[in-house]
Amino acid sequence: MSDQNDPMADIRASFFVECEELLEALQDGLGSLDDGVGDSETINVVFRAVHSIKGGAGAFGLEHLVRFAHRYETVLDEVRSNGLTPDHENVKLFFRAADHLSDLVRASRDGLTVPQDAGDALLAELDAMLGTPAETDEASAQVEFTPLGIGIDLGDLDAPFDAGSAPSTRWSIRFQPRAELYETGNEPQILLRNLARLGTADVTCDVGALPLLLELSPETPHLAWTIALDADVSEAEIREVFEFVDGLCDLEVSLALYDDNTASTAERPPAADVNAPAGVTLPQPDTAPQDMPAPPPARRAAEPPARSVVRVDLERIERLVNLVGELVINQAMLAQSLVSAGLSPHSDAMNGLEEFQRLTRDIQDSVMMIRAQPVKSLFQRMSRIVREASAAVGKEVRLVTDGEATEVDKTVIERLADPLTHMIRNAVDHGLEPGADRVSAGKSAEGTVRLSAAHRSGRVIIELSDDGGGINRPRVLQIARTKGLIPPEASLSDTEIDNLLFLPGFSTAESVSNLSGRGVGMDVVRTAIQQLGGRISIQSESGQGTTFTISLPLTLAVLDGMVVDVAGETMVLPLNVVVETLSLGPDDVQMLRPGAELVRVRGGFVPLYDLGAMLGYRSRRTDYTGCIVLLISLDDGNRAALVIDGIEDQRQVVIKGLDDSFFRAPGIAAATILGDGQIALILDPADVIAGCLVPLPVDARLPDRSSKEERLEHG
Amino acid sequence: MSDSYRLPARLDLPAAEPLAQALRGRLGANMTLDGSDVTHLGALCLQVLLSAARTVRHAGHDFALVNASDRLTEQLASLGFTPDRLSGGAE
Repeated sequence: MSDQNDPMADIRASFFVECEELLEALQDGLGSLDDGVGDSETINVVFRAVHSIKGGAGAFGLEHLVRFAHRYETVLDEVRSNGLTPDHENVKLFFRAADHLSDLVRASRDGLTVPQDAGDALLAELDAMLGTPAETDEASAQVEFTPLGIGIDLGDLDAPFDAGSAPSTRWSIRFQPRAELYETGNEPQILLRNLARLGTADVTCDVGALPLLLELSPETPHLAWTIALDADVSEAEIREVFEFVDGLCDLEVSLALYDDNTASTAERPPAADVNAPAGVTLPQPDTAPQDMPAPPPARRAAEPPARSVVRVDLERIERLVNLVGELVINQAMLAQSLVSAGLSPHSDAMNGLEEFQRLTRDIQDSVMMIRAQPVKSLFQRMSRIVREASAAVGKEVRLVTDGEATEVDKTVIERLADPLTHMIRNAVDHGLEPGADRVSAGKSAEGTVRLSAAHRSGRVIIELSDDGGGINRPRVLQIARTKGLIPPEASLSDTEIDNLLFLPGFSTAESVSNLSGRGVGMDVVRTAIQQLGGRISIQSESGQGTTFTISLPLTLAVLDGMVVDVAGETMVLPLNVVVETLSLGPDDVQMLRPGAELVRVRGGFVPLYDLGAMLGYRSRRTDYTGCIVLLISLDDGNRAALVIDGIEDQRQVVIKGLDDSFFRAPGIAAATILGDGQIALILDPADVIAGCLVPLPVDARLPDRSSKEERLEHG
Repeated sequence: MSDSYRLPARLDLPAAEPLAQALRGRLGANMTLDGSDVTHLGALCLQVLLSAARTVRHAGHDFALVNASDRLTEQLASLGFTPDRLSGGAE
């Protein structure tokens, strides 16, 4: 485990993990408020999230956090208790406060400081929303409820009912039901009675500021209870009694000082006066009266079934993933040695091995699932980006998310955050037109950015679309020509023009805004996605909007690969790019010009690349007859034919990253260890092809190649 | 001294509002509540009873809970009360 020496560090760490979950719940709640689908429970959820963060922060002495959370909570509480329905502006403010709260949480976790001004400004806005003057008394942050000591004689109250048994632990429990507890059909009386069954309970009711009958609203709870419980039970067992009302009441369980307990028992007569005016001691009832139902689990039905979750150190999972990787390699080695031992494929050993292979694969899938996380947290971060970006450029933007439950490898999620952030900023800044233009184009003034995730054929598809004006192709073309990215006379298809956005150094922004146009272009986004083994593509329709589609592997750790032989070297190509394999006949290849050949595939022509020559293993072939060709499909929808010397296998390989100290050879993505212990390089086909074109003039290379190809393919 | 008011059998959540109404109508005089029928007492009704007891006593009248059924006594105990303490408005 992490730090053995400091138990507080662990508790603190788990507090921050909880905070992340609470913040997520907070965002969800605010989201449904904003969509108008929330009910009275939604605001409670939001309130509780903030309240719980405050509670934990208080325990760790995180004052900034407590202060902000408290004021935020106060406002939410007002809204909730007065049954107000927050309007769009209010919810926006709540969102911003939630963002600030998460900043504070992260700052507290990492020991950073957060500028006070932002928080103060937000607090002022929150207070203004209620029309109350800013609360200055920060001491009140700690004051939750002050029981009034009405006629409660503390001396008697503490009198334990101790029938001379061995001294047991004394717990002090404070229980204050909220209105929801009653609304959901729970009854404190039954809870208290169940609690009393654990041992000997000394129940005291804090009547507090109970209003007189005429002012009393009978369904607003005013009462709270303090229970001194003498019982040999753990805190968890006590909390279990209140399990069904978790979150519906304020519950504090603490260990009363043991010394105090024994001292007082010694002084006092052991017999308890059942009619004592204050404390009442309950005998332990043996059986429950028949007509008393157990606390109904009404609350459960209303929520999605709670999942039980185990928190595991990421390091342990990594270790497991690595071990499983080794297992896969080992299994492949075993298979290889059985084959080379000349065993019949129908022998028991081979059958057993097949079974083993299946199991290995299952284990691998399961282990990968451990690392998988829903993209929800990522999407929530993006909703914050949308809010900030839209505020910065003064556009009304609404983010619609879909498929938040889609699970993706944790590493992928982490590394996707930056590119997505950039793309969202782009969408808000460039994609969506200003409000006035939208209205005149017959759209609503509020722009929509849609973010969706889905699993499709073993990959994750993330789509980001806006309902803006679409790509202004003439303008893109003009900029590309001005910047010399393409030759002036090149004629490009729409797709090719769209793809120009991915060229380094491309920016259409007429004015450099705060958000984008800072030199970080879509090329960086594309590189980041490609490093994740993903592809990105654009579809755009003028006046309708633009959609970016990112397709990602589910995991970064394994890859379905095609093991091929290239000039005696074993290489692995990602299977997902391979469209088909063919064997070349004498008339299939046509020379376009020296060094540029095309192969005829199903009536179309595809550029031919000799992999062995491109990787520098041997010189270029002159005769391709009888060669094996892999037809691959690239990111931009183009195809290419790679000449290889043989297909060896099709199997799952464990990706081993290449150390940074290696030369980053073009076309090589990673490496893997094969069954015979041999190391094979994993190729990145797009990179290979881009790399081989270096001898051509750089400016002309991309459009030149693809435009010809396009024409030929369609011709 | 007015007649005693017989508390209904089930003093649960839905009963809180009617109970408050009924008791409000009897303010301004001594209030005696008969608990012989009560089989169930919830915390919200306890709250109403407490509030009533206080109100009546503040006005200088007497409040009493009489004939508490065994079940009522037992349930009051769960909530930290006795019939006497309740009558006293927990003051």
